[in-house]
Amino acid sequence: MLNLDVHLPRISAGDPGAFVPWVAGAEPVVRSSLRRFAPHVDTEAVLQEALLRVWQVAPRFRPDGQPNALLRFALRAAHHLALSEARRLRPDLLPDEALLRAADAVSVEVREAPDPLLRAAIHRCQERLPAKPAQALLARLEGAGRPDTELARALGVRLNTFLQNFTRARRLLARCLEQAGVVLAEVL
Amino acid sequence: MADPIELLVEQVVSAHRELDASGRMKGHPAWHDLPVSQREHAFAETVRSRELEAALDPEGLSTTGRAVLARVRAASAPDGHRES
Repeated sequence: MLNLDVHLPRISAGDPGAFVPWVAGAEPVVRSSLRRFAPHVDTEAVLQEALLRVWQVAPRFRPDGQPNALLRFALRAAHHLALSEARRLRPDLLPDEALLRAADAVSVEVREAPDPLLRAAIHRCQERLPAKPAQALLARLEGAGRPDTELARALGVRLNTFLQNFTRARRLLARCLEQAGVVLAEVL
Repeated sequence: MADPIELLVEQVVSAHRELDASGRMKGHPAWHDLPVSQREHAFAETVRSRELEAALDPEGLSTTGRAVLARVRAASAPDGHRES
């Protein structure tokens, strides 16, 4: 099992470069753990907030000696945030107990970095995309975190056109990968 | 004619999120407009997208990771603070 705490000393010292491999390993684990919150809160916002809190708390964080202590802290922070946000949005509909049990049952298993063969297969499929969907996909990849309105304006298209091109890109990519025998994450 | 639900899902799949007045991450407006029955679908599409993005990134970061690191680096810069 990968132990992301190997990056902890440099993260605690405030080195953003050390936070890169930690985030790369931790993000899928924390996101996956938020699945049952998906109908109740915007899990993307919760996840990003939790990762930012990890960075802020890291200088004062004391590991408990078990592997992936910082990741386990991130999971607790994410679930606390998700529950708090769900209560704020719809206190009448929230099955608190079920969500809390889901949070307790999280498996802390960090996956290895993507297989180079998977990366090559995705690149091959990406290269086969028609021009407009390829542009939309690249804009999202390169403009990570920038608003879609801004990305669409940079490409000289309306927001809806940009979103439709992105939908086409994702579907064509998924079909191409399926034909190449690549299975992406099984969810739900 | 584009399916309005699909357009909402596509916006939710984006890693772009804004901060509220207190500096806390806000839910995407499209997520609030999305029918509850479609929110798990949006979650699933996001999981698949992030896996692809991370596989394509030289450092293994998805667009979520890139967005978070951009905020961390902005806050770590001299006079840095959390920006929307």
